[in-house]
Amino acid sequence: MNLSVIWYLREFLSFEWVHKFLFVKTAPLTTPPYFRDYPLLTGKECTHCLACMMICPVPGGIEVLMTREDACHLPVTQSRPPGSDTWNPVIYPGHCIRCGLCVEVCPEGVLMSGRVIEFQFIDNTAFTSTFQLEVDHTLCMRCGNCSIACPVNKEVDPALGGGAPPSSMESVMLVTGGELKILNEDKCTGCKTCETACPNMAIRVVRQVEGIHQEDEEE
Amino acid sequence: MSLLQQIKNKVRSKSIHVTFVDVGSCNGCDIEVLACLAPRYDIEQYGIYVHNNPREADILLVMGVMTPQWEDKLRILWNKIPDPKVAIAVGNCPISGCVFNRRESYVDPPVSKHIPIAAEVPGCPPRPTEILNAILSLAPVVFRDYEEKMK
Repeated sequence: MNLSVIWYLREFLSFEWVHKFLFVKTAPLTTPPYFRDYPLLTGKECTHCLACMMICPVPGGIEVLMTREDACHLPVTQSRPPGSDTWNPVIYPGHCIRCGLCVEVCPEGVLMSGRVIEFQFIDNTAFTSTFQLEVDHTLCMRCGNCSIACPVNKEVDPALGGGAPPSSMESVMLVTGGELKILNEDKCTGCKTCETACPNMAIRVVRQVEGIHQEDEEE
Repeated sequence: MSLLQQIKNKVRSKSIHVTFVDVGSCNGCDIEVLACLAPRYDIEQYGIYVHNNPREADILLVMGVMTPQWEDKLRILWNKIPDPKVAIAVGNCPISGCVFNRRESYVDPPVSKHIPIAAEVPGCPPRPTEILNAILSLAPVVFRDYEEKMK
């Protein structure tokens, strides 16, 4: 006789039910530990490779700054003696979208956020990056500033900066045959010196990042 | 403090009226605000009511990057809200412009250039609990003893 009117009345007029009906609230919701929140510092040493800044999809989301040892709230280690200045990534909450790419790309594991590193280890994924040089031939006026300014060219062909004709074809880019030719794109280090040296903004350095999946060695 | 003021403080702490405006967002933050209304987060158990009419509201949630179409209209909307009132910027867009704030884009962040913003909830999008916490922590500060402060 669980469904009789009397049962209903007794159930819903009881003190506990009425009290619960009027005053109950859902439990205060807390952020779960696996939530991919703003990245935190793990305490490992940052090598200032700027991989996090380069992969950040947001303008001004992350910056690698020289900070005092006591300002970054990390335990003192051998690489971080008291009173020293170290490089540390700084996250700006008004800009950061919590995508976790900086955590994933960091080769030293300086940052942590949720289970990003854990899943990266399980899935065996990584990022590789290459640099592409794009020349707008309608803007390029074949002045050769880029090939002289390029620090890779300076090592390969030191005489080029003095006005000598190009002696080797190992340079990154050269003006030959009335046109700027990109010869060895794979040697580009992405320093963008050519971009700043170009008077016409004709050359652009494009960083292409690719997510790769490394197969297990047993298989 | 008069008894009337005490009653007003008590009532206002349990009855916070919120309206939201999207000044050019990607809809992510709007959906997080709607998630606050759903049973899991249940914003109404704290006495927060969401309206679509600014004349009924105390708190304005602003979402989005401030597109040119909104530049005159947001100020009109803000003036329609009766005092005491505050605006909360929800998400990264009204704070910094986030991914939309690039060269040759027409957006005009931050929103604080156009209306006074009392609190900012960063995140892209922020968690519903973060929005809820911002409303709940801001409301008593702003609405408490409003008539006393006006004297």
